[in-house]
Amino acid sequence: MGSLLVFGLLWVVFSLLGEWGATAWINSAPDGTGPYFGTASNLGVVGAHAFDFLVWVAVPIFVFVVLMIIYAMIRFRSKPGEKMTDAPRQTRNNKVFVGSWILISIVINLLVWLHPNASGLEQVFAAQLPKNNPNPLVVDVTARQWEWIFSYPQYNITQSLNASGQDTLYLPVNRPVKFVLRSYDPFHTYDTAIDVIHGFWIPAFGVKYDVIPGETRILYLTPTELISTEQNPMARVQCSEVCGPGHPYMEANLHVVTGSAFAAWAKQQASGS
Amino acid sequence: MAQPLPKGGAAPVPKRVAPWPPVLRAFLWAGIGFVVLAAMAAWLDPSPVSPYLTAVGSVTGWFGALIGWLLGIGGYDYVVRPMMGYPTPRIRTSGWRRYFEYAVDHKVIGLQYLGASTGTFLIAGLIAMAMRFQLMNYRPTLFHYPQDYLNAVGIHGTLMMFTVATVAMVGGLGNYFVPLMIGARETMFPKASGLSIWLVPVGVLTVSMSPLLGQWSTGWRGYEPLAASDGSGLLYYYLGVFALTTSSLIVAINLTSTILFKRTKGMTWNRLPLFAWGILTVSLLNIIWLPEIQTTFILGMMDKVMPLNLFNVFGQPLGYEYLFWLFGHPEVYIVVIPALAIWNEIIPVMGRKSLFARPIAVLGLVFVMLLSGMVWAHHMFTMMRFSEMLPFSFFTEMISIPTGFAYLAVIGTLWNSRLRLTTPTLLVLMSMFNFLIGGLTGLFLADVPANLQLHNTFFVVGHFHFTIIGGMVFSWMAAMYYWLPKFSGRTYSEFWGKLGAIWVFIAFNATFLNFFILGLHGMNRWVSAYPKYLQPENFWTSIAAYLLGAGFGINIIHIVWAWVKGPKVKENPWGAKTLEWQTTSPPPAKNFEELPVVVGSFYTYGKDVPDPVMFPVAQERAPGS
Repeated sequence: MGSLLVFGLLWVVFSLLGEWGATAWINSAPDGTGPYFGTASNLGVVGAHAFDFLVWVAVPIFVFVVLMIIYAMIRFRSKPGEKMTDAPRQTRNNKVFVGSWILISIVINLLVWLHPNASGLEQVFAAQLPKNNPNPLVVDVTARQWEWIFSYPQYNITQSLNASGQDTLYLPVNRPVKFVLRSYDPFHTYDTAIDVIHGFWIPAFGVKYDVIPGETRILYLTPTELISTEQNPMARVQCSEVCGPGHPYMEANLHVVTGSAFAAWAKQQASGS
Repeated sequence: MAQPLPKGGAAPVPKRVAPWPPVLRAFLWAGIGFVVLAAMAAWLDPSPVSPYLTAVGSVTGWFGALIGWLLGIGGYDYVVRPMMGYPTPRIRTSGWRRYFEYAVDHKVIGLQYLGASTGTFLIAGLIAMAMRFQLMNYRPTLFHYPQDYLNAVGIHGTLMMFTVATVAMVGGLGNYFVPLMIGARETMFPKASGLSIWLVPVGVLTVSMSPLLGQWSTGWRGYEPLAASDGSGLLYYYLGVFALTTSSLIVAINLTSTILFKRTKGMTWNRLPLFAWGILTVSLLNIIWLPEIQTTFILGMMDKVMPLNLFNVFGQPLGYEYLFWLFGHPEVYIVVIPALAIWNEIIPVMGRKSLFARPIAVLGLVFVMLLSGMVWAHHMFTMMRFSEMLPFSFFTEMISIPTGFAYLAVIGTLWNSRLRLTTPTLLVLMSMFNFLIGGLTGLFLADVPANLQLHNTFFVVGHFHFTIIGGMVFSWMAAMYYWLPKFSGRTYSEFWGKLGAIWVFIAFNATFLNFFILGLHGMNRWVSAYPKYLQPENFWTSIAAYLLGAGFGINIIHIVWAWVKGPKVKENPWGAKTLEWQTTSPPPAKNFEELPVVVGSFYTYGKDVPDPVMFPVAQERAPGS
């Protein structure tokens, strides 16, 4: 009973310390994004909240097992040179311990499935409904070996390029964006037989969605921070699914700008192309 | 080399048949088989671009080589000729040469598997070192083109999965110890088992040499539709894996039937050792899922050669991915179940305490087996429909409940034990620590909103290396130190054993904990070049990885030294109760002088607990009994 009390006390103390450290870690970044980083969009915030919550759930579990390992190594160690004898108390079962273990593990798993998983998914699904995204900016994203092509049909931009002729993605902040993800556009040649899967990923937005040959998929999100690749390299479009030798280089710069700056950019792009 | 059938009377058993080493003969016959069948293919299906070797020819030629290899290594002398009425030649029973020949003794076959796994672990480990060297710099240095690097990743993953992770503890330790632990003299199908090991070198050579046929960039998963337009080396990835999985399938059938039909008297299901339970559940998983992946790979191969357009725009682009992970996730449990079983094999012995909640520990293994086929699509959250996300995340969370039962049993056993902190104990506890991190990071990946960020980043790479190296390789090392006195009658140095264990533990965590941070920072998988801001962290990760490689080297050298030159120990130095310790070390050819009879549980300790094993004949003969 003594060992149990000591262990229980240590578990509570170290769990509290762990939670305190985890909270400090989560709050370490200036915007409270902690170790998750990808929070510059509405979807990224959902993922970050899930991540933070799971850190808090994981700490007491981690402390319990690790403390038990260390505790057993110290408290139940047989001293070197001691005669090999069987442990004096041979508990082969303990219904309270086994029952509560099974019950608690079921409860924890149901909990984390419901929240943050199902509750977070509810937000993600809701964010994908057209009625929740009024007046979206439509960006046609074409993924091909090995290039991202962005076109803006509302602004008559067939392929947005920067001054060096590289594909580049400009987005206005706080306006819903409708990404139309596909592997074919009418302006480029297309070979159906060699088309492969790509992954449309913007690390800073905290979300990725795959581009499947022959399918057109829609992803709605709203950028919430003014960022650019130059100032934060996580703000980039990166292919996340291996797509052949060019995969590492399949990336594009991203600029999230104010609404007026975006309008000016779009005007200049439309006249230039 | 063929000897005429002796006329009349009992046939004298010929001493040696092979005039030269079987491995050399196997290589020669494999070469002949390849040339013959590849030439036939070139004649029947000529290609205008390549008159000698076509894609079809390289596949049919490979099968010719496979048949030639298996016949040359011993299939002809020990299987084909005896079927036609010729006497079976003698099989070498002593000396190092027997490990390089056809064998039927499950202990020789087990060591052959262990040797093959260890050798492949070194090859694939060196590839990993090269990969880490490349990643020290954000621009190509060692691998000049991304496809060189991607091909290295693919070979590293394929070899580690199909030759090390799923083989070392099943084909190796399983073949060696299961018959000993259940009190059998041999396995159920020793002849098939003797051939199955020789599929491993075929698979390893095929996969490692595949870039010669054309580089492939898909990684170990061979994702379609990229595979269809990738280099022809991918054909040898399919075929190499085919050889390796066939080998594992034969092991699974052999060991399952051995456990079902060859248990000694008194070895009831309730007394079956935990490790045998682990091998039984793993073998059932193998029997269910290996044919599935073989079928998928045959489809992939036909799609590439014909082409059938199964998995591109004209067919079902995601079809291959679903079929692959349908096997791919049970595969993870094929890797880790023997490790969970080993924990509960070693801790009661080292703690001198009865195994806590034994039925729960066994049920944990069984339920992991049952659930493992229901979670696969969590590898595809970024590809699937929204409606599929909730069920797959649900089963993924739920599988941690039976997995936790292994922890429940170990922790209950540790409590109030008299724990001997030997090297195997230390490695089991380290494995529990590592696998815990692997499991807890799985919690984050099973959460779909977070997964949409973490998927295909180094966070995932860290997660599965924690489960596979942290869970399986650490447990494999624990088992090697634990059973070393059994293999050779010699033991290891406690100092070097502990130093090696602590070394790999620290280096492993220093390497792979960094992977989580890298992943969160936006480092994606399958890249030999990456944005510059990730370089400093990658640099230090690589330094830790080299230390990890050196640590594995130290352990391997130490184990080999102890095996050959270590101090001799008495029989059963740990005071374990399971049957493998009730015979001499190393065990004799037929394992037991007299088959033991089991009368109690192997995992019950304490005062006045009677011996669980009896040898009725020997005890009757002994004076004074």
